[in-house]
Amino acid sequence: MDDDVDARDAPAEVDATFRTLRRVAVGYFVLFLLAVVGFPALSLTLGWWSDARLAGGMSPGFAMAAFGLYVFFAVVGVAAARLSGAVEARMLGDDARDAQVASTDAPEGER
Amino acid sequence: MRGGSGILAGVLAAGWAAVWLVTQVLVDPPLAVLPTVVVGVVCSTAVVLGYPSALRGPRVARAPRRPAGVPGVRRPGLAATGRSMPLRRGLTPDAARRTAQLLRPALGGDAIAITDTEQVLAFVGPGADHHEVGGSLQTRVARAAIERRRTVVVHRRADVGCPVPECPLQNAVVVPLAIGSRVVGTLKVYRTGDEPASRATVEDMAAVLSLHLELAEMDRERHLAADARLDALRAQINPHFLFNILNTIASKARTDPEEARSLLLRLSDFFRYAVRQDGHFAEFAQEYFFVRTYLTLEQARYGDRLQVRYDIDPQVLTTRVPVLTIQPLVENAVKHGVADKVAGGTIRLRARVDPLTRTTSIRVSDDGVGMAPEVLERITSGRRPGTAPEADGGAHRHGGVGLWNISQRLESLFGERYSLDVESEAGSGTVVDLRIPLR
Repeated sequence: MDDDVDARDAPAEVDATFRTLRRVAVGYFVLFLLAVVGFPALSLTLGWWSDARLAGGMSPGFAMAAFGLYVFFAVVGVAAARLSGAVEARMLGDDARDAQVASTDAPEGER
Repeated sequence: MRGGSGILAGVLAAGWAAVWLVTQVLVDPPLAVLPTVVVGVVCSTAVVLGYPSALRGPRVARAPRRPAGVPGVRRPGLAATGRSMPLRRGLTPDAARRTAQLLRPALGGDAIAITDTEQVLAFVGPGADHHEVGGSLQTRVARAAIERRRTVVVHRRADVGCPVPECPLQNAVVVPLAIGSRVVGTLKVYRTGDEPASRATVEDMAAVLSLHLELAEMDRERHLAADARLDALRAQINPHFLFNILNTIASKARTDPEEARSLLLRLSDFFRYAVRQDGHFAEFAQEYFFVRTYLTLEQARYGDRLQVRYDIDPQVLTTRVPVLTIQPLVENAVKHGVADKVAGGTIRLRARVDPLTRTTSIRVSDDGVGMAPEVLERITSGRRPGTAPEADGGAHRHGGVGLWNISQRLESLFGERYSLDVESEAGSGTVVDLRIPLR
């Protein structure tokens, strides 16, 4: 028999993690969607968005298309990945237990 | 501000400043007022909703705040000295030394000593070379004050009773320190001149010190009571649970050795967590680990009769909740809800964070047999189980001890800032709602 048998995650635990990760994904997707939909919506409804001028003669809409959206997507992507990783680490396996007792459980010679 | 509220306020202010900068300053023409306000409100809402998971930052232990001093005043007043008394943490040598240093200018003595009933805990001023800290009480006057339980004032060097001939101390005011009616030490104010220190001032200060010692004693007793409640919860792990799980594992050892081994690991995790929790709070993820370990063991015993459904908000995973609070609620749901139902049932654990009210809400529900109204009334009455006469002679199975214990612990941790609601109907299951402040 394999001596490295780990405690397996129960189906209910995996199911719960899936639902929580799905909630994270949906939340960030809604955020993404709002940004993407908001861009043309602003162009259509707010004249200022296209007519005003920032430094260099750029309109706010142009500046957002040229720089802002890329920054926003990068931030959203990194945040979603980090949160998903943290959720998975906390909801599956026994990391919480390992972190808590690693030092006290080590054999005398390994401390 | 606690718990990162300062960070939240700072980010909100920075957000509004950025909105103002981008829409009003850096652009020509500036955006109209209404769209600017809309943009600001949208940004603020996003920040507040995302705050629990993104902005709370690392939790580090903060050093206790020092009491604010009085600027420009070198000699502390009597009231200020009393407020900042280190003896609030008990009559220890370190607290006594700091107190003596603090009191020396306020009481106008040349030397200040604080003792317990056996030895000198602190001595500051002339004579410190032979009135050694940790040594036994040398002066007769201190023993006299302890024995008589009242203030002793001596005006002559001979009456001070110091056995060292070169001792510069000429007179003393010695006031016993007491917790209730029990004398626990003395405050001694010595002078090298002719006149002793003001008896009234020293007695007032001794009364303040005694009050602080009394408060320290009450704090200690309160902590002991909270620790005892936590120990009671640990001890409440039912031996029958252990026997049943071991029997389950023994029965699976032949038919499914892999699962038997997995269950043993889970059982080890369960007891390790229960025994090694020494603080009163833990991350929700750790408590969740404890709960799912427990439920996995129970599922091995009950099989398909016990279904579990977790509904966990991602933001709640990093919040801090009282240890060993959720598992007893789940255990109650298994023992008194699903176990008694022939067809079995489902236990649901739902955890949410409300960023606006800064509340963590945890709901444990089951669709088991529920409770009769009189049982529910007794459990939610707030009375200690076993103190009220029971109609059935106490033979009921819903003792309510675990729930009462949890309620008492929550009260000692949060005061009035929590709620623990139980709703139940016979045959329809039970819902327990716990709301605690977000930490």
